[in-house]
Amino acid sequence: MTEKKYLETHEWYSVNDNEITVGISDFAQSELGDIVFVTLPTVDESFSKGEGMVEIEATKTVAEVYAPMDITITEVNNKLDSEPELINGDPCGEGWIVKGSIKDIDDIGMSYQEYESFIS
Amino acid sequence: MSNLLTTQLYNFHVDQKSKLIEFAGWDMPFSYDGTLKEHNYVRNNCGFFDVSHMGRLVLDIDQIQNVSKLICSDILNLDNSKALYTIFTNENGKALDDVIFWKFEDKLILICNASNREKISKHLINNNIEFEDETFNTCLIAIQGPNTENLLKEYLDLPEHFSAVDNGEYICARTGYTGEDGFEIMFNNSKVDEILNYIVSNEIKPCGLGSRDTLRLEASLPLYGFELTEEISPVEANLKWVITNEDDYLGKDILDNELNSKNHKALKKFIINSKNIARTGTKVKNNNINGVVTSGNYSPILEKSIGFALFDSSPESDLLEFDIRGNFIEGNIINKRFLS
Repeated sequence: MTEKKYLETHEWYSVNDNEITVGISDFAQSELGDIVFVTLPTVDESFSKGEGMVEIEATKTVAEVYAPMDITITEVNNKLDSEPELINGDPCGEGWIVKGSIKDIDDIGMSYQEYESFIS
Repeated sequence: MSNLLTTQLYNFHVDQKSKLIEFAGWDMPFSYDGTLKEHNYVRNNCGFFDVSHMGRLVLDIDQIQNVSKLICSDILNLDNSKALYTIFTNENGKALDDVIFWKFEDKLILICNASNREKISKHLINNNIEFEDETFNTCLIAIQGPNTENLLKEYLDLPEHFSAVDNGEYICARTGYTGEDGFEIMFNNSKVDEILNYIVSNEIKPCGLGSRDTLRLEASLPLYGFELTEEISPVEANLKWVITNEDDYLGKDILDNELNSKNHKALKKFIINSKNIARTGTKVKNNNINGVVTSGNYSPILEKSIGFALFDSSPESDLLEFDIRGNFIEGNIINKRFLS
């Protein structure tokens, strides 16, 4: 699996062969505050790069999770239905959001160091 | 760095690593441990809020006749040592501010919203009412939750429900904005360390404006600027119970007409059963009656999305349709309180 890459819209992703895993950054969860609802897509749904896949409702505000590249959903983190706070507690681990298959890797994300300077 | 006002507890907020936000010109804590945790401290045990940003105006009791001409509740017949929730109305019967008065033998203490302190001050001056603005000389802390009485009874003189005591060192009122039992304590700035030490040593958790908002919403309490504005009257905001003043106060004729009519806007509480929060500004429909969400958030106790919406006229059924970012989401009007 590749190291995590980060987008300006605060998603992280990692790629393993043709499978991508997507979540949101620690900075993003901290800005959102307590996450209370996550509306997940369905398996086999496809999204173009930049399209909203997931809606995250938090006590402070709402946020969308955008597709980092063209993606067809293969798995969603169903635990988030009953434990949306997993994203607050472990955004880059247990709080992953979706997995999907990708045809072409469009690896334009920032490294962690680049992302850190982007948010600071 | 900024021109924001800070309270006497500012260093405490910074030491506690709270998330600070600008609120009505003040640098205030939004949360310390997270809004949901803080919400539950107050619902299940006890938490405290620095609400020193709110206005504190002290009026001599001989000003009471003039005050009575500006508010929609009966303050003249209020007993001493009692608290009164009321609304300053304008000539159109709309809300200038919703406030609390604490009435004592010799004085009235007026607690107004931070955003309206200057407006209410000018309004009093324009109506020849004299007062001292004690906002910057004093602190105001709200300690709220079912365990509050237990934690404070050794330390403070605690009044009965909706009453206040003034022992010369502090004023303690059994009032609040969370739906829980609790107290609001006003004291001179020089006592801040002593009172804060007591609170912290009793492990009363600090809570920020985030949980203050989810608590008041869940307790079905309005927030000025959202459920009450200079475009919304107390009748429209479903606060008819506040209108008890038989004096000839500003806007009385209009409010009396509204009380006997259905031809006015109507604020309703709603609940949504899906995973959507209808936030401030969201459009909502009840058949052909249009409305707009004034406040909406997650209720940690109900684990559902709740809020207030203001309709152009009284809805005729309970079924609502929200337009949340282009998706039509169903909801229902709730006529009872959110929490039983």
